[in-house]
Amino acid sequence: MKATLINYGVGNLFSIKAGLERVGFNVKISFLPEGDEDVIVLPGVGAFSAVSSYLNSMKDKFNELRERGVKFLGVCLGMQVMFDEGTEGGLSKGLGWFKGKVDKIYANVKLPHIGWDKLFVNKDSCNLTEGLDGKYVYYVHSYVAYTNDYVAYSEYGIKYPAVVCNDFAVGTQFHPEKSSVTGKIFLRNFYSWVKR
Amino acid sequence: MTAKRIIACLDVKNGRVVKGVNFLNLKDKGDPVELASRYEEEGADEIVFLDITATIEGRKALLEVVKNTASVLSIPLTVGGGIRTIEDVSRILGNGADKVSINTAAVENKKIITEASEQFGAQAVVVAIDVKRVNNSFIVFTRSGTYNTGIDAIQWAKEVEKLGAGEILLTSIDKDGTREGYDIELTKEVNNSVNIPVIASGGAGKMEHFYEVLKVADAALAAGVFHDGVIKIPELKRFLLEKGIEVRV
Repeated sequence: MKATLINYGVGNLFSIKAGLERVGFNVKISFLPEGDEDVIVLPGVGAFSAVSSYLNSMKDKFNELRERGVKFLGVCLGMQVMFDEGTEGGLSKGLGWFKGKVDKIYANVKLPHIGWDKLFVNKDSCNLTEGLDGKYVYYVHSYVAYTNDYVAYSEYGIKYPAVVCNDFAVGTQFHPEKSSVTGKIFLRNFYSWVKR
Repeated sequence: MTAKRIIACLDVKNGRVVKGVNFLNLKDKGDPVELASRYEEEGADEIVFLDITATIEGRKALLEVVKNTASVLSIPLTVGGGIRTIEDVSRILGNGADKVSINTAAVENKKIITEASEQFGAQAVVVAIDVKRVNNSFIVFTRSGTYNTGIDAIQWAKEVEKLGAGEILLTSIDKDGTREGYDIELTKEVNNSVNIPVIASGGAGKMEHFYEVLKVADAALAAGVFHDGVIKIPELKRFLLEKGIEVRV
């Protein structure tokens, strides 16, 4: 199965590429969709305003691919830009695939939030979290999506979405590629979800 | 609550893991890729490579090791030691490290903290602070603990947070290698002064030491006790859980 990992021009894509390859994806890093992929992956590097404006410039292409059955995976910031809007780097529009706003974690906690927290399953119609309820996943972030519609959540000062999904897109606030065995199971579940 | 992290540190020289006493009698302890994977399997939450190479050939070997390790590891990897410029940071992250740890360069050229943080994100920038007690004060030392900067460690910790550091790796030079336990007082003071995660380092000798320090730090780092098998990570984590410290198992 082919995955295109979108390069926004910043940050390290090595880990996410390796993580996807470990569960069987054939990964290509590219600035634009390749056109023949099964999955587009939006990695978790950069800041909301810059990345969302870059991705919005290819929204038509994304819609076209969606209609052809291409699926999307967003990790960390890559998930956040799938929401309506975000405040990092000034209020800006996201892709609007999920309802809600991305904003700082407003709680009396250390930021960035760095470390392992438990994943709790909410309601998972996408079967992405099988075997993962109560397991630890790795987070590195200061912003979260404020939404009521999520597959799973974690808690750090506040309760926030860890996994979201709809019929064509999956997003994770945690880094599956850095979450050891738990992350591998998640990516395997994602692989099965794409195949269906 | 976020689990407390247990971090395994490996000294890497010319692409191999080495271990010595006071930097002397370095013995080859094996392949960093294999050792890092083994520590992941045993339950380490992160791996730190400390590059103790001085030569350009050794530096190239390090980048190769970082790349090979990043492709097998699925927990975070930090690389520190000898990072002087933003290009060094870029090269290390470009080869698959998740974070860099900057020590001497951060003191001698503060700009590097802010530049790295703006370019790669605060989460990728760990500032390492090596501290020695001098006349009842905590003083920052650089250049592998040989140079007294005269800077107050608590003030410096606050400053690096402002400059854009995402984490502080706090090492007690007095305790390092002694296996007498972490410097609890130092760790507590730094932890109370900043609002970013603090990793305690230096002095781990038995499991109780981890318990004591994790009450006042977000993570504890150790090297020798893991390499020598004095402490096994799975046992350590069970011990901490029983003591009421949340760790990932």
